[in-house]
Amino acid sequence: MNRAGAGAAFLATLKRDLLISVKRRNDILNPFMFFIIVVSLFPIGIGPESAMLRQIAAGVIWIAVLLASMLSMDSLYRSDYEDGSLEQLLLGSQPLYLLVFAKNIAHWLVSGLPVILVSPLLAYMLALPAEGYLTLVLSLLLGTPVVGMIGSIAVALTVGLGSRGLILAVITVPMSVPVLIFGTLAVQNSLAGGSPLGYLALLGAMLAAAVGLAPVATAAALRISLN
Amino acid sequence: MPAGRGRTGARSIHELDKVEKVSGRWQWFHRLGSPKWFYEKTTRWLPWLVGAMALFLAVGIVWALLFLPPDYQQGHTSRILVVHVAVAGTSLSFFPLMAAAGTVTLVWRIKLADMVAKNAAPLGAWFTFLTLATGSIWGSVSWGTWWEWTDSRLVSMLFQLFLLLGVISLRAAIENAETAARACALLSIVGCINVVIIKYSVDWWNTLHQRSSPISMEVGSPNGPEFWVATAVMIVAVYLFLAVSLIMTTRNEILQREDKAQWVRELVAQARQQRPAEVKHG
Repeated sequence: MNRAGAGAAFLATLKRDLLISVKRRNDILNPFMFFIIVVSLFPIGIGPESAMLRQIAAGVIWIAVLLASMLSMDSLYRSDYEDGSLEQLLLGSQPLYLLVFAKNIAHWLVSGLPVILVSPLLAYMLALPAEGYLTLVLSLLLGTPVVGMIGSIAVALTVGLGSRGLILAVITVPMSVPVLIFGTLAVQNSLAGGSPLGYLALLGAMLAAAVGLAPVATAAALRISLN
Repeated sequence: MPAGRGRTGARSIHELDKVEKVSGRWQWFHRLGSPKWFYEKTTRWLPWLVGAMALFLAVGIVWALLFLPPDYQQGHTSRILVVHVAVAGTSLSFFPLMAAAGTVTLVWRIKLADMVAKNAAPLGAWFTFLTLATGSIWGSVSWGTWWEWTDSRLVSMLFQLFLLLGVISLRAAIENAETAARACALLSIVGCINVVIIKYSVDWWNTLHQRSSPISMEVGSPNGPEFWVATAVMIVAVYLFLAVSLIMTTRNEILQREDKAQWVRELVAQARQQRPAEVKHG
């Protein structure tokens, strides 16, 4: 196994997963729709006053992102598990964590990125002041991959189960709390006229830690789940 | 297993003796991993542990409730803190405990470690719940509110409770016992790292909670010896309670999982002879 081989396997996995996502649009579209619907429920439930919405906008968007990613993650390894290709990845000679990382990137590109792209529009609907937009998008850019990679561990642990129901959310949501905290604090801080760079740096640190550790944990979890 | 053990067959007695001595350093570790050894040892330890626990609990509770002078600011409510601090301190040790047991499960595949980890999760959930309960009872008097989101310790305890419930529900969802053991082991290790991150990130919120106050040697001062000695007694009592409950549930687990083993059968047969009426249906 040489380095070029591992790199090629990484790219091949990335390409394959992106291709599959494009062919199975519903798996991607449903969480995206869910995200938009959840966000638009908040003004109806809480009230249309923009003064109130302004304060909760960043939190609402962040929570909706978390919930939507729970929904989209459910399919992360399932079809690969069902058609046996996951076992092939495990048996193969390429480092599993690298392939897992490729899968995480592919998943983020099709599920995380669209949500981030549409978030300024929803932020506008929730009356978020203009100075919060850039911070919101940046915090989502740094934070959603972390959520995805934490969730990937939980999905890997539960991949063989027939009825995993809410376990995924019960495991992933508490672990995503730090991301939620710093994501919303960053936006609130820039709304208050301060610099969000400190919080964004912390999110970046979490991202770096997640990139280093989470794929390894996911690979170990897959090996446990598939014995 | 020590690497040399498989090859000892071809060696002389003298050499074998040497190998035994070297591997003896790790023998306690493997013996500790044997459910039978654990069961027999704890049969002997348990009365002492229970006795010590009863003693410390009695001293701590009577002292805290009856003899501790009321705090000059908080009055009698400060007595709750003696219990609260002890339970809170103990509930922080569950994730490190489960992560350590999980590491042993993943690396050495020692069954006993998983039996401990399995029973530690629900116990930890109860301890965490008790921490939240005693904390909010105390808070209802001292802060005038049962729940305060701006207090970072309450919030991070809440999320520790959620994480423990996640471990419990993962264990319940996986049917194969060995897969469940290893999956929960991994989740406990990841959770242990995460609890620390959650704690520090929640700390960024402004907090109402008291910073831990420096202890003082002066009798009669707030946090004087009578307060922290009572708390220390209570902390020892609660840790002993944790040890006793964990050992007892683990012993139960051993009997259930090893029910095919000769020594467990003998034990059950013995119990049947002694108390035929009670275990007839067992």
